[in-house]
Formats: sequence, structure tokens, C-alpha cells
Amino acid sequence: MSKSTKKKPYLRAVLLGALSIASYAYLFSNVDQVMENFVKGGVYSALPIVTALYFSIVYGAFASTVLSIVGLQAAAGSGH
Amino acid sequence: MKKWLVILFAALFVSLAFAPSAFAESAPPSNFKIGSFTQVDAASHTATFLASDTGESTTIRLDDSIAPADVKLDDKAMVSFADVDGEQVATEITAMFFGLTKDKLIALLIVGLVGGLLSGFIGSGGAFVLTPAMMSLGAPGAVAVASNMCHKFPKAMVGSYKRFRYGQVDVKLGLVIAGSSIVGVQVGFQIQKWILDTWGSAGSDLYVSVVFVFILVVVGGIVFKDALTAAKKHDEGKTPKLALKLQKIKIPPMIHFKKADVVISAWVTLPVGFATGLLAATIAVGGFIGVPGMVYVVGATAMVASATELLVAFVMGFWGSIQWSMAGLIDIRLVLVILAGSLFGVQLGALGTTYVRDHTIKLVMGTVMLIVAISRGVKVPVYLAHLGMISLDKNVSNLLDDISFWSLIAALLTAGGIIAVAMVKGIVRARSEEREAAVAGSA
Repeated sequence: MSKSTKKKPYLRAVLLGALSIASYAYLFSNVDQVMENFVKGGVYSALPIVTALYFSIVYGAFASTVLSIVGLQAAAGSGH
Repeated sequence: MKKWLVILFAALFVSLAFAPSAFAESAPPSNFKIGSFTQVDAASHTATFLASDTGESTTIRLDDSIAPADVKLDDKAMVSFADVDGEQVATEITAMFFGLTKDKLIALLIVGLVGGLLSGFIGSGGAFVLTPAMMSLGAPGAVAVASNMCHKFPKAMVGSYKRFRYGQVDVKLGLVIAGSSIVGVQVGFQIQKWILDTWGSAGSDLYVSVVFVFILVVVGGIVFKDALTAAKKHDEGKTPKLALKLQKIKIPPMIHFKKADVVISAWVTLPVGFATGLLAATIAVGGFIGVPGMVYVVGATAMVASATELLVAFVMGFWGSIQWSMAGLIDIRLVLVILAGSLFGVQLGALGTTYVRDHTIKLVMGTVMLIVAISRGVKVPVYLAHLGMISLDKNVSNLLDDISFWSLIAALLTAGGIIAVAMVKGIVRARSEEREAAVAGSA
């Protein structure tokens, strides 16, 4: 399929966007409890790391899809 | 994608052995406690402190510089201590987590977006602007550094993945540099500790700033001049003379870096990583040394070096985050708000590199380094005044602080502007060529 006729991933963007918003909303609506647990150190040290990784994968994929939909993609021949 | 993830996580698991004692780029401060004050006694200048880690309450003396009325009760704070005549005295109390207002949220989003754009383009982590930005919004220094570290590694992961897909990352080179950087950081910490013990906090700040300015002016000047020369002479990708000479050193083990298209002795490559780590730990300069090191010492192009630096930033940031998280200093709210902007920015910056030539990356890097050098340079008189070597009016001191901060913002906006213009020109040119090819094809 040529680039110009390739379908834009609107559904993927909506799903990833919804998941991202839900994740941000959940975290910030429980922010006091989150902050209490995330600074305890010890085994709780994994919480900020895992959270950052999770958001980078989900929200990062959403950002990539949005950029693709608005037509911002790497130059042809750059292996993307 | 799968191959990339396998390489990445294999590298992480192998290096897990070093995690408990390893630092990456900076160490959490040691003489502090996190907790809250439950009672204040103005008469005896003491307060009851409930430590978060132990759950124990102790009565501590407040330094004379702290007014009892200023101590907020039941507010999580970071408390620095000093040993005075065998007694632990609270010398500084900083609220751990400032309130996130709408204005601060927007500021962090914008700084994240533009900082991410810069990172995706030149490989620099962006700490030079993000950490001061968080501090100016109210975060204590340690929380700002910790939160930036925790934001940097996922951003670098996404950026390096994108640039890997574009065929720009030399994974072997990145892992060699990252590994030797971590060793350099351990040595750098000992030097940093010696400087702090010998000259104190103000002396350490002065030393760091002078070395920082010197290195950024010299290296930034070289990179900037090289960018202008390459643009004028159209000699993109020409291997620098120093790198050519060093590539002739045939002391084994010789390493072939495929993407960088370089065969060079490990005895040349490892010191580049070591020096990057050493300088990162002592003067907080990481990517600004790593990228020029890979270009002018190893002989990689700016495109490959800036892309590979993102992999280095991921590894260093991941390990630094473990340390800072164990110290309980990461403000996850700041991390996620900045990521909301930077995950867009880093991918924009990454795809922008596919539309520009090598010299544009050098131009942006050189420009940013020189402006950041000015930003830090204007603080030198402030540190000299703190040491009592010169006298400085308080208004002048505040003015210099403002110039320093706004110079950082100028660096960010200038770099963002150059990248945006270069990207737009590149995209317009590429689409025009596509249309011409389509027309020629249908003719």
C-alpha cells in the first residue's frame, strides 16, 4: 500500500489516548497515596521506575501515532 | 522492535550486578532526612521531627537561621543536618513537593516539549534546563535532579528506539561508552567529595562553574566552528583529523563499530566513556562531552553520535534513577508532567534528524553549549561573593541569577527554533521531491 493511500491509525490513537488519559487520571486522583508510597525507598523504589516505563510505552506509543496521523514522519528511506 | 528490546534488557540485566553500589551522573545527598515536623517549641528553638523511613519521633535543635514560626507542621519536608558540638542540628528545611498549580503545569509541559525536541535531535539529556526549571518552580535541588533523572531514562529509551529504527544508533558503541561512563562516575564522585570536603559548598560551586564554563566554551566553540565550516565547504561526514590519527593506533582489542563505520582500539574508546562519566559526576556535563567525544575522538558522524548518546543516556539515567528512588527523592508528578511534553518532543526531534545534514546537528549543539556557558558564567561572581572574595550588591546578585536562568530558556528556544526551521525546510524539500518524482513517473 502506498504511503498516500495507507490508512491512518485513528483507532489505535483513540485507544492509546484513552489508556493514557485514564492512567494519568488514576495516578493524579490518588496523588497523596501515590506520593506517600513512591518515596518510601527500599522495595518501593521500583514504583517510580516501573511507572515511568509504563507511561513511556503507552503514552510514547500514543504520541508516535498522533505524529503519524498529522503527517509528521521520518524522511523516506530512513528505515522507519 | 523485538530485537531492540532484547538487546536493551540484556544489557540491563547484565549490569544489575553493579546496581547496589553504582551511581550514574550524580549521587543523592547523604546528610538529610525526609519527614515532617509535628511540634515546634519556640522557646527552646527545637522541634519534634517524625522521620518517614523509621516512623520515629525525635526532638531536634533548629539552626539559628530557621525561625520557629516558619516551620510548617505536618508538611513533608527534606531536612538537612549538620553536626554541631556532637549534636545534630537542622540547618535547612525544604518542602519536598510543591503544589502543582495550572501555571506550573503548563510551564513544565512546555519545557518538557522543547527539552525533548532538543534531546531527540542532539542527544543531550536536557538536564541543563529541566533541573533549574524545576528548582525555580519550587522543587528542592535533590528532588529536581532525581525527578529529571527518572524522566530522562524513559525519554531517552523512546528517542533511542526511534533513532535506532532510522538506522542511526550504534548499539555496541553506546554500550561501551555507557559501561565506561559508569566507571568514570564512581571515580568522579570521589573527586567531587574531596572538592566539597576541601573547599566547602561555595568553593565547590565555584570550581564546578569555572570548569563547566571552560569546557563548554572550548568544546562548544570547536563544535560550532566545525558546523559552520562543514556547511560552507559541503564536506559532510568527513572524519576529524584527531579521530583519523587515533584510529591508526592498533593496540588490541580493536573494536569494529558497524553503524559508526569505525574500527578503533578499545584503549581509545574506553577513555571517552570514562571521561564522560567523570565530568558528569563532577560538573554535571554528560551529553555535551559524550557526543563531541564520539565525533572528534572515535570518528563517528554527528548523526550517529547524537543517536548513540540517547542509548548512553538511557543506561545512565536508569541507574541514576534507581539510586535516587532508593533515597526517596523522585517526585513522580513532575516526572509524568514533563514526560507528557517530552515524549512528543523527543520523537519530533528524532524524526527531524532524518531531514537535516550532519552539520545542522553540530550547529544546534554548539549554539546550545555556548549559550549555556554564558548562563553559568554569569553565576561565577555570585560564587566569588559567597566566598567573600568580592563584594556584590544583593540586587546585582539577583540580576545575575535572573540572567543565568533566562539564558537557559534562551538556549532552549534558540535550539528549538533552529531545529523547527531545519525540519520544516527539510520536510518541504522532501515533499517537493516526492511530487516531482510522482509527476515524472506518471509522464
